[in-house]
Amino acid sequence: MQKRSSLFGCVILLLLFVLLPDVSIAQDSDLKPVTNKYAIKNATIVQAPGRIIQNGTVLIENGIIKAVGSSIAIPADAWVVDADSMFVYPGFISGLSNIGVEKPEDKDEDDDRKKTGNPSDERAGITPGNSSREMLNPGNKSVEDFRKVGFTASHSVPHNGMLPGMGAIVLLGGTDGERMVVKDQTSMFAQLSGAGGVYPNTVIGVMAKYRDLYRKASQARDYQAKYNSNPNGMERPATDATLESLYPVISKQMTVVFKAESVKDVMRVIALQRDLGFNLMLGEVKQGWDAIPAIKATGAPVFLSLDLPEWKEEEEKEEKESDEEEEDKEEEEEKEPTEAELEEKALKERQNSMIENYYTQAGKFRSNGVKFGFSTMEVKSKDFKTNLLKVIENGLSEDQALAALTTEPASILGVSNMMGTIDVGKMANLVVSDTAYFTKDANVRYVFVDGVKYEYEEKKKKKKKSNGGEPVDASGTWNYTTETPQGNGSGVITLKGTPGDYSGTITVSFNDSTNDIENVTVDGNNVSFSFKLNMGEEITVDISMDIDGDSFEGTLSVAQFGSFPMEGSRDPQ
Amino acid sequence: MKKINIIIALLLTITITMAQEKGSVLIKNGTVLTVTNGTLDNTDVLIRDGKISKIGQGLSAPNGAKTIDANGMYVMPGIIDAHSHLALDAVNEATNPVTAEVWVGDALDPLDVGIYQALAGGVTTAHSMHGSANAIGGQCETVKFRYGEIDPDNMRMNGAPRTIKFALGENPTRVHGGGNGILPRTRMGVEHVIRSSFQQAKEYMEAWNDHNSNKSKKGYKGKAPTYDLRLETLADILKGNIIIHCHSYRADEIYMLMQVCKDFGVDKLVFQHVNEGFKVAPELAKFGAGASVFADWWAYKFEVYYSTAYNAAILTKNGVTTSINSDSGELIRHLYHEAAKSQKYGGLTDDEALSLITINPAKQLGIDSRVGSLEEGKEGDVAIFKNHPLSIYAVPMVTIVDGIVRFDRENDPADMRLYPDPEEKIDVTFWEAEDHDRCMANTEFLFTDK
Repeated sequence: MQKRSSLFGCVILLLLFVLLPDVSIAQDSDLKPVTNKYAIKNATIVQAPGRIIQNGTVLIENGIIKAVGSSIAIPADAWVVDADSMFVYPGFISGLSNIGVEKPEDKDEDDDRKKTGNPSDERAGITPGNSSREMLNPGNKSVEDFRKVGFTASHSVPHNGMLPGMGAIVLLGGTDGERMVVKDQTSMFAQLSGAGGVYPNTVIGVMAKYRDLYRKASQARDYQAKYNSNPNGMERPATDATLESLYPVISKQMTVVFKAESVKDVMRVIALQRDLGFNLMLGEVKQGWDAIPAIKATGAPVFLSLDLPEWKEEEEKEEKESDEEEEDKEEEEEKEPTEAELEEKALKERQNSMIENYYTQAGKFRSNGVKFGFSTMEVKSKDFKTNLLKVIENGLSEDQALAALTTEPASILGVSNMMGTIDVGKMANLVVSDTAYFTKDANVRYVFVDGVKYEYEEKKKKKKKSNGGEPVDASGTWNYTTETPQGNGSGVITLKGTPGDYSGTITVSFNDSTNDIENVTVDGNNVSFSFKLNMGEEITVDISMDIDGDSFEGTLSVAQFGSFPMEGSRDPQ
Repeated sequence: MKKINIIIALLLTITITMAQEKGSVLIKNGTVLTVTNGTLDNTDVLIRDGKISKIGQGLSAPNGAKTIDANGMYVMPGIIDAHSHLALDAVNEATNPVTAEVWVGDALDPLDVGIYQALAGGVTTAHSMHGSANAIGGQCETVKFRYGEIDPDNMRMNGAPRTIKFALGENPTRVHGGGNGILPRTRMGVEHVIRSSFQQAKEYMEAWNDHNSNKSKKGYKGKAPTYDLRLETLADILKGNIIIHCHSYRADEIYMLMQVCKDFGVDKLVFQHVNEGFKVAPELAKFGAGASVFADWWAYKFEVYYSTAYNAAILTKNGVTTSINSDSGELIRHLYHEAAKSQKYGGLTDDEALSLITINPAKQLGIDSRVGSLEEGKEGDVAIFKNHPLSIYAVPMVTIVDGIVRFDRENDPADMRLYPDPEEKIDVTFWEAEDHDRCMANTEFLFTDK
């Protein structure tokens, strides 16, 4: 009996394995679109920066742009997108990202402490033979995340290490990793990251290792070439897959794309390039404004990061308001600000003028004639548009921004003949928005990748922060975490009673205390209260929670010290 | 409000520049402490295009040059710190007992506000060093404090000789022997690591020499030795192209390294810390090794208990080229005071005491022909003090690097950071002090319980 059931189990397992691939193929054929022809009708078509057709039509067939213009005959079997008042742009191209590339699994094995100085190449983050092509997954969340904001292609590179591997130009669509690849082995990706606990652990180790590897590869390549032309009497060359993968870099057939966020990293990479002479692209540059002359001297094209520090607009407004208030007060009684207030204000102003540098940088690169696109390695897809619009407010024109998302990366990456503009014969990579894309309220409605349509719902307006409205039921036990300069804190907020009549306690991990809360107010979905905390001397802490169902985001504020973000969730009853 | 805006505008004009700039400035009527040629009362120092062009009386400023009235003040050469870890993003590549190939010049941080704070102590040049985790650590970089420059290349003192950090005693044995269970576990192990590294480098060098002398011969088909940046660097030490600066405390290990160097024909050697240097002062003098010491800092670990505040004086009187260093972002701001302590304890002359922080560290770094004293033709690095720099009342007033005023007490804005962190939470409370001693930075991960 037992034997039988285990046999039965095996059969089932076998069936599962045999059948699974079949099932997925069947699904694919099920999902085949009813037509490969699409017509986007009556739209404003921005073919390329500065080239606009009003009330035009784009005709797509089998992944290719068949026709663009104002009087295009629409075939009967085309799927028609009524795009009245909509805008069509060439699909965006990310100059450098990990979009679609799976992260290698963390092996999490204990290092042999005796070998920290001489780890395997893989452990040291030196895998130049890897290629993002082998790690692509169209189901990777990043593909959909960036597609829905308008990206259709990306220069995607592998994750992790000082030499993670080679990049590829990939499409943000499809169901098959292999089919995502437009162009393989386009670049060698490099970064100044240490291997974490083994050699090279620090930036000085990485720089030295890079020089050592490059020169070793150069020497090995020369010897191999000599040996190939006449091996007679010559010692057989050593074989080393890592070094061999670097040969195309040495011969300058392959460009090194270096991630360099800070101005210091940019200058370090430029120093390496000067030492060794490889072809260079700079990626994910965040602080490049002071390095423009040095970058220009290398001739390297640049991909600027859109992961920018938060623009603190609200605070500015608040300041203005409080300025006015102060003026009012001054009329009544002149109150000198304290030294600490003055200092804090000066620090804030310096910080704000620093933040401005990040947003004006793209405009400066443009006016200095440095070729650049944008990279999306670090920016969250949900912040992409907000940050881009701020960059446009700060010195980059819309056309220039569009160029940096389309024609410029296409040209830098050598795919101008395939993508970057809406012209007949090019790949059907398009983004359609319900109004001009570079406005705050625009929604992406369709994205075409290689002629395949992705449709998006109009975004619902976000619920406004509550002013009034039904008071929320906040009773229960809330676990929270917060970030302060003293480190991360956590604890539990217990609220009892009914809206308008809450009482309770809060625990604080900083000093392991439980404190009674007071002054509880409820305004719509916002709950605020304060408590007294004994940190040597007694301080008053104000908490504000914006509750959304069973989770909340809020702030923890201490007069003089400022306010810090907190978040948490309600324990299920 | 307006005041703040003006300060910020001022700041921005003072700071960001991108070239290795040189300036002209005339310092009038000061008491000039030349260090190498005595003290000159009521004397002018003229710096032209970054170099001291004239020291004398009644000099006039060239067109457009700034004039500083130093009447009643003391004018001395810019202070030089032979042991610092300022302005570095990485200090220790602590993963291997030998890392000769790494170079802290790759990790310069021109944005470190510590540079400005050091300028405020009259320091113009420092030896930014690799840490002491490894028996043979990384190469160091001699930098000039041109604060305001963004390009790390503009920090370098171009043409200064290459230097490298070695370390003896507790640090390398603790990191590698104690932390990882490998060589070196003991002081004997440290010697072995250094000797075997030198031996490998010697063999590497000889193999290359063989190859190079044969390769032009007809029919030669030999294979070159495999390039190795670590051995290249070690070979450069053997060739005399790199000065060794060795972290050391105990007399026995100091003596040991001199023997090892003798065996391999290496004679460019400076010991750092050298708390027991006084025990081997004649031997150091005979070898020609330098000693860079603290005035009175000790007892922070077992090997540093046998120490004396007379160390600098004893070494000096024995003819050892001796300097006082900081090894700290805090101590660097009052090296003049440290020199004064050594004078107080050991009865040094003013010039001997000032030499400890000027011409002597310059000699140890191989830059004494360019800086370290006020002489015509030398570089225009000057510190101006109210009261004598060896006085307890000394106040650094102006610090000049290459003829450019980089610190001026009369114009010293509160916030001199170059790249403020856009995301830091503005908090005027001082929460915790950073560890001053960075000699063992980047090694923390080796001491976690695993």
